[in-house]
Amino acid sequence: MTSPDLPPAAPTAPVPPAPAATIAWAAQVIGATKVYGVGEAEVRALDGVTVGFEPGRFTAIMGPSGSGKSTLMQCAAGLDRLTAGQAFIGDVDITRLTEKQLTLLRRDRVGFVFQQFNLLPTLTARENITFPLDLAGRSPDPAWMDQVVATVGLGDRLDHKPSELSGGQQQRVAVARALVERPQIIFADEPTGNLDSRSSAEILTFMARAVAEQAQTVVMVTHDPVAASYAGRILFLADGRIVDELLAPTRESILARMGALGI
Amino acid sequence: MLRYALTNLRANLTRLISTALAVIIGIGFLAAGLMLTDAMRAALTGTVDLEYARVDLVVEPAGAIEGGPASVPGSVLDAVRATDGVAAAAGELTGPVNLLGRNDESLTSRAQGRSWIDDDELDPLSIESGRAPRSATGSTTDGDGDVEVAVDRGTAEDQDLEVGSHVRLATPSGPVAATVVGVTNLGGQDALDDGGTFSFAPTDATRLLAPGTGGWTRILVATDEGRTRAVADTLREDLPRSVEVQDGDRFRSDQRAMSAGLVDLLRPLLQGFAYLAMFVAAFVIFNTFSVVVTQRFRELALIRAVGGTPAQVRRSLLFEGAVIGAVSSAIGIVFGMGLAFAVQAILGAFDIRLPGAGLSVRPWTIVLCLTVGTVVTVLSVFVPAFRAGRTKPVEAMRDAAVDHSGTSTVRAVIGGSALALGLALLLGVRLVGLTSWLLPPGALLLFVGVLVGGPLVARLFAGALRVPARRLGLTARLAVDNTVRNPRRTATTANALVIGLFLVTVVTVSGDALKRFTVEKIDELSASDYIVAAGANGISPELVAKVQGTDGVAAGAPIRQTVVLDSSGRMVFLSGADIDLLRRSTGLAAEDGSIDAVADGTGAAVPALAGASGGGAGPGEDRSMAPLPTRTGSTMELVAADGTTVGVPVVATLKPELDTLLLQVVVSDERFTELAGDQPVSMIYVRVDPGQADAVGRRLNRLVAGHTGVEVQPGNFLGQLVGQVFDFLINTVNALLGMSVIIALVGIVNTLTLSIIERRRELGMVRALGMTRQQVGRMVRAEAVLIGTLGTLIGVGSGLLLGWVLIGSLSAEIALEVNWARITLVVLLGVAAGVVASILPARRATRVEMVEAMAAT
Repeated sequence: MTSPDLPPAAPTAPVPPAPAATIAWAAQVIGATKVYGVGEAEVRALDGVTVGFEPGRFTAIMGPSGSGKSTLMQCAAGLDRLTAGQAFIGDVDITRLTEKQLTLLRRDRVGFVFQQFNLLPTLTARENITFPLDLAGRSPDPAWMDQVVATVGLGDRLDHKPSELSGGQQQRVAVARALVERPQIIFADEPTGNLDSRSSAEILTFMARAVAEQAQTVVMVTHDPVAASYAGRILFLADGRIVDELLAPTRESILARMGALGI
Repeated sequence: MLRYALTNLRANLTRLISTALAVIIGIGFLAAGLMLTDAMRAALTGTVDLEYARVDLVVEPAGAIEGGPASVPGSVLDAVRATDGVAAAAGELTGPVNLLGRNDESLTSRAQGRSWIDDDELDPLSIESGRAPRSATGSTTDGDGDVEVAVDRGTAEDQDLEVGSHVRLATPSGPVAATVVGVTNLGGQDALDDGGTFSFAPTDATRLLAPGTGGWTRILVATDEGRTRAVADTLREDLPRSVEVQDGDRFRSDQRAMSAGLVDLLRPLLQGFAYLAMFVAAFVIFNTFSVVVTQRFRELALIRAVGGTPAQVRRSLLFEGAVIGAVSSAIGIVFGMGLAFAVQAILGAFDIRLPGAGLSVRPWTIVLCLTVGTVVTVLSVFVPAFRAGRTKPVEAMRDAAVDHSGTSTVRAVIGGSALALGLALLLGVRLVGLTSWLLPPGALLLFVGVLVGGPLVARLFAGALRVPARRLGLTARLAVDNTVRNPRRTATTANALVIGLFLVTVVTVSGDALKRFTVEKIDELSASDYIVAAGANGISPELVAKVQGTDGVAAGAPIRQTVVLDSSGRMVFLSGADIDLLRRSTGLAAEDGSIDAVADGTGAAVPALAGASGGGAGPGEDRSMAPLPTRTGSTMELVAADGTTVGVPVVATLKPELDTLLLQVVVSDERFTELAGDQPVSMIYVRVDPGQADAVGRRLNRLVAGHTGVEVQPGNFLGQLVGQVFDFLINTVNALLGMSVIIALVGIVNTLTLSIIERRRELGMVRALGMTRQQVGRMVRAEAVLIGTLGTLIGVGSGLLLGWVLIGSLSAEIALEVNWARITLVVLLGVAAGVVASILPARRATRVEMVEAMAAT
């Protein structure tokens, strides 16, 4: 925990290894609360969550439908705003940013991989990859671009439109887009949700390699234990709170923990 | 299925707003036009029956034309009164009169002076207070004694006049001092004439309203019970042949037709533009429903999967169209009422009072508007409905609903060949000199080609722009790509704009060229320096003398003009003048024969081009103009004032100059009086001393001030007038076409809004990836500008082409000098339309909430 006066994330959770006080989080939320609706219809999607994502780590967020895992990711990534609490990307308190500052921060420091509708249909694969850089008016480092493209294995398909690519290839383009801007953190929302198992394995391998080889930080929301097993740390959410955490997980330990939590 | 259609209508209300708006604007325009013209017609024709209710017979100059001189001699009135069976007869005389203010400014406009009719049977006016005007003795223009006048109730109230008020009036014979002795009304209405009615005693009226002659416009006759026919026969026998006798019913119906003439011309014109607006609206409706069908693709497939037949799917969409059409038309009618009121109010603010207060809403108007609006909507929904019916059940299971249509080979072939053939025909007409009969089919093919081949054109357009757009950055590039995602939709949107701007360009280009050509031709002709012209009421001898005596006037030739009949009853337009004066004041010259022979009183001169002016019937008349002889040596048989037929030899043909064009058949003053009797001077040709033109113009204008109906015009006024008429027509037509451009604008808003709804998830994604709101807004605006530019370029381009061919086919002499300033303005307006149209969709696009957008499935 970053500060001693904050309550633990959840009473039932084992206290995670206390990071050094000087640690620079890639992203963190403190007392994150998100409420939808008012009165009778009020839904607490996040209920005072405090968590940090350390740099160079692949973190997975798991939980049943409606547990708040997507909301946590969206609020941490600056796609949505918290009702209460704070959210940081690096050392920037994004809850204090204007809409425009937040947009530019996302553009320059955050990478995204979504479940679907990841790509612009009118642009080629290459143009989709450089899209955030183009938005910023920057051009990609050619060597790095080549390396990323080689990593995700898109070499000969770069000039194809998304409609000419398979679902797996489209997600590879999305991953390449997230990697090429060397963001401080990549958020992935069910990136393999629409893919067959082989394509899923490929995508997850690319992300895990980026973490291992380039010290990239990745936060992934998933309900798939197989996907989660590629991560180095798993957070379990239920009813808007972090209920458990698992380090260096395996498929079996994940399934066991899910069973214990009744997920 | 009908319930399904209704729930859909409710669910998709916002998407259908633009459809409704397009119909409302179009139908509103139609309704406003109908209501206004109905009201005007009712007002203009309604008074005819009140005014001439008791008239059994009318004695008019033979071949009387509206606005012709008041030329039924006073002796005829005496003769009519003396005829057995005539209960009452009165001379009718009207002329423009205006109330003058302290500084001689006109306080009324379009007011009429009238001769008071003493006979109760024939008099349409009633005295409300005071008494009828009586002749004042010995008063002259601006003299010592006041003229007595009765004013109508409306003018009395507006101008704070009452019995006993002293006023100054402008009349055809100059300003005059008058005393109000009575206030009149017309069967309960304020006034007989729109601008007000000033009634004078008959002797005053003839002096003030018909200077120079003592004639009447016409004589109204009431006969003893049952003797109308007998009296008519007697009068036809006894009266000179220069006048004719008409029965009252025929006269009233002629008057009604004449009063409504302008409105009857205006009405189909306004309707034409309204139908054009509805045609453009059809594009908007078609587009909306195409998109709605695409968006509901899966839903429609589901209906088919659970057992809905294609016919049921079709019917439900057509029903939706019918409901929207009917409801929007109804709103359109209400909107039309508001529009009509607004038009009246706006014109009223500029002191232009349309005849007829309020609106006339006839059942027919409502039926027509509802029918047109509903039918157009249902027809526009037809194609999308059929497409919806073809939805396959299996498509419910498919993922994306993308409209890939619009670039099929069939379409390309049809559109391309229509375009090519149309172009070939038009260019053939212009360059190779093919018969101009091929012009309409060429234009039609071009039009069809543009409409059918639109998606291809859109694709080519975007392809051409892609390279420069790339240089302008990502948002420009994306905007270009987005416009051709659905080329058919883009093309349909642009085409709505094409129709309006195409017509604007054709009208502007060919109108400009025709105007320039005509004005140049007219200006080549020589003319007098000034024309002092009067309306029907003529110019008093005093004013003629004053004009001739004005400093700097070298010569002033008074002209008398009238229509006489030839021996076979056809009309001949006759001018009488002092030939010597005429020669000194105009460019009068003989092409053949001798003008001297006209001067000595024997013969007539005719314009050298006379043959061209024959044919054609006068307004409200079944009499035709007699074709004029074209050569000297022939003789015209004309009916003289005393009823005898006189042979008038043609002794000269006149060079076609401006002045002679206005004169037609010229005879000497003596001959004119013999043929046409006593007629007022209708205009004076004035030649000024060298270098004096401006000064004389100012002096003449001062001289005619206060003489209503008398104007000083430059001798070449015809050129200016024609130029003004052309400008007025071009501007009016363009303003009316503007209505269709507005609907096209609604179409652009519509297309963009719908495509933004479709692309919500994508917009959410690009916002997540770091596209700022400004960039999103810029992208949408660029899309709108692209669609606007596409429509503008096609519209203006094809308009220029057709204008060029059109002008070329009329005459090789007419140079096509395109008014580039105006064309540039049209192009800028088209592009600006795109920018304006993008405001709402761009707002909508920038407001897309990322999380919500991406969650939506």
